[in-house]
Amino acid sequence: MLRLNSYRELEHLREQLRQQRQVYKTTVMICGGTGCQASRSSSVIEAIRSELSKQGLTDSVRLCVTGCHGFCEQGPVMIIEPGNIFYCQVTPEDVFEIVFHTFVKGKVVERLLYKDMVSGKSYQMETEIPFYRAQDRQILSQNLNVDPCSVEDYIISGGYSALTKVLSGVSPEEIIKEIKSSGLRGRGGGGFPTGNKWSECREAPSAEKYVICNADEGDPGAYMDRCVLEGNPHLILEGMMIGAWAVGASKGYIYVRNEYPLAVKHSRIAVKQARELGLLGENILGSALSFDVEIARGGGAFVCGESTALMASVEGKVGEPRPKDVHTVVDGLYHKPTTLNNVETWANVPAIMLKGSSWFASKGTQGSKGTKILALTGRIKNTGLVEVAMGTPIRTVVFDIGGGAVDGKAIKAVQTGGPSGGCLPVDKFDLAIDFDILAEAGSMVGSGGMVVMDEGSCMVDVAKYFLTFLQDESCGKCVPCRLGIDRMLEIITDITEGRGRPEQIDLLEELADTISQTALCGLGKTAPNPVISTLRYFRSEYEAHINNKKCPAGVCKSLITYSIDPEKCTGCGICLRVCSRKAITGEKKEPHVIDTELCQKCGVCISECKFDAIKVA
Amino acid sequence: MLQYVKVSIDGAIIRTPKGTSILDTAIEYGICIPHLCHVPNLSDIGACRLCVVEHIVNGRSNITTSCTLNAAEGMVVRTDTEKVRKLRRNLAELLVAQAPNSRAIQDIAVRCGVKDVRYPFRNENCVLCGRCVRACTELWKARAKGFVGRGKDRHVDYPFGTRPDFCKQCGACIQLCPMTITPCNGPMKPGEEHLCGNCESQLMISENAPGGCTWCKLGENFACGRYA
Repeated sequence: MLRLNSYRELEHLREQLRQQRQVYKTTVMICGGTGCQASRSSSVIEAIRSELSKQGLTDSVRLCVTGCHGFCEQGPVMIIEPGNIFYCQVTPEDVFEIVFHTFVKGKVVERLLYKDMVSGKSYQMETEIPFYRAQDRQILSQNLNVDPCSVEDYIISGGYSALTKVLSGVSPEEIIKEIKSSGLRGRGGGGFPTGNKWSECREAPSAEKYVICNADEGDPGAYMDRCVLEGNPHLILEGMMIGAWAVGASKGYIYVRNEYPLAVKHSRIAVKQARELGLLGENILGSALSFDVEIARGGGAFVCGESTALMASVEGKVGEPRPKDVHTVVDGLYHKPTTLNNVETWANVPAIMLKGSSWFASKGTQGSKGTKILALTGRIKNTGLVEVAMGTPIRTVVFDIGGGAVDGKAIKAVQTGGPSGGCLPVDKFDLAIDFDILAEAGSMVGSGGMVVMDEGSCMVDVAKYFLTFLQDESCGKCVPCRLGIDRMLEIITDITEGRGRPEQIDLLEELADTISQTALCGLGKTAPNPVISTLRYFRSEYEAHINNKKCPAGVCKSLITYSIDPEKCTGCGICLRVCSRKAITGEKKEPHVIDTELCQKCGVCISECKFDAIKVA
Repeated sequence: MLQYVKVSIDGAIIRTPKGTSILDTAIEYGICIPHLCHVPNLSDIGACRLCVVEHIVNGRSNITTSCTLNAAEGMVVRTDTEKVRKLRRNLAELLVAQAPNSRAIQDIAVRCGVKDVRYPFRNENCVLCGRCVRACTELWKARAKGFVGRGKDRHVDYPFGTRPDFCKQCGACIQLCPMTITPCNGPMKPGEEHLCGNCESQLMISENAPGGCTWCKLGENFACGRYA
């Protein structure tokens, strides 16, 4: 493809490509994101491709392998335009039917439509589905009609027009003013106002500056950055170009963890395409901006998501944070002023520049503007990526979009913001998703992970899980994080194994306070949050573990015993056969008993018992 | 030309070269801030966090380590508030529970007011202060040892676990190691670790007298004003 030398050439190319696309009558958009690939979407894609060529439809049907659509629970998903027909859980065996009925005859295959589990109603169109209806998808919707490996797709859908607008007459100061008035705040976790960061970086005196995109997402259960980067890498590049122009940087890095192979691959392809088109390099589109981007792969350390550790890692050093008494916007990568933003923050930039700050600021609350992508996971019906306007109550996300708990259990809490966030109980579900409101409640929006827990989750065990994660991922440089978390885990392990003492709760609180005030980096400072928030809202569970030596949720193995309800037991003998410890005895047709000495509490008998006769207390 | 700035440490207005760390400034002036990983003439990494102080910016107090905080004009720092003492005590408690078999760390614990250790003792041999690593790397440019591993597995080791030729066995690392001097009553056996507290008699009234000095063993290495 030819190098573009001016804005007019880009517009011309866009028009040309649009005309070329008009020959296609039908477009099928199938998700090729990591989530759907795990549900075998690649074999579905292959099957469609071969079926289309077999039926001779390659000239009229366009197959577009896109990034994540969001509804990962129902994967692989596809959308067929025109008609906005939504098929879910498609298998290679269904492909013939889809091609023959939908593409050739224009009929809908009822069997593959999304069916609501509660009402039993089928939905034909994607936009009608309750999961999508309650969302406000500004960034994720751009994933739908763009093949991440095709810069043409991005240009056709209006890509790089924000860049041309900016380069053809918006001064860097005006960009920063626009970003400031939009109220955009960092989506990576801290919620720092992006405009302020940019203006500080612009004002820092240095000839050389850097911009970095932080795609080192490592929170358990969170994957929105991955989906945006692997689904629409050119959007990130465009955002970074605008940022580079605003702060005066000439070099950018995308720091992406190597565990995201698709994101690494797609961003590499995107950078290569952009270089070929002259969208990266010297004098981009004939303007004064010279900018290039490199992909830096991370080894997958959680701590490398912290700004100074990330920069050390890009420099090729050990990924460890350093004291931040001088901010990275002044002294960052290679000791030069550096603007580091999260993937989602960069993704918001082009739309703000194109549609204006007032459009962005019209969504959201007083302190938090725009939309936020949340990764909804856990004991919930519709898991997946959800994008809602800031200020949406947690209840709407969990119940209206998420569809409530699985197996008819009651929802107990939601963990927001990953290991740095906290657990909020169900009576706090009316709180809005807003940086300040959630921080006040002891949790945080964070990167946007949302793990829903039902009554079968023990909150002490949840705190233990996060502490184990943090202990593994702590870099070990400073004392409070390395030794403090270790001691907290020691205490919590004592509590879950029945050795807890009442004064240990106070010690936990004091230790948590010490760590949060003295740790070296942001991750260490927020590391005690899972313990602080569970102590705040679920103190009674801690007390039950310590005083009564009981785990109310029946999770902590040392504090529970299994028994068989003689009323319900029919003596079928299934549990007797599956128990590997031979702890269950009894005659046929007579109620069985469990020898608690031998019982390992593995739970196999519970899952096998058809009569719900095994009790945990 | 050295540029001088004025900073306020615990209310004392001190004139110091611009860019000197608050810890160095305070020690020079005779205000003792307990510290472990800081060694004069080596870079500061802020690992032990013992030298935390309150840095007051626009009326809001930030807790930060004084070894990494560089003096700037008009800076206001408090080193001996209730909050700082409590944080310091908790940090010293974590350290002494980890490595009770060091006179230096026992001294620090006493100096920071640790009366009781609420965690089980561990009797480890290293607290990862990184003095040896930095001395080897920065002073002698030998780079014969470094940190290996992450988090709980972090430890100091030679490259690939064997002593390289470029280690000249100069012993600088041993000189600076806070673990080489055992408590006065000899090494503690596993299971018998306790808070030594022998030096407590040297403190005036440890809690009420800020800056009470135990003539701690570390002071010798720090060029502490009292040893001069």
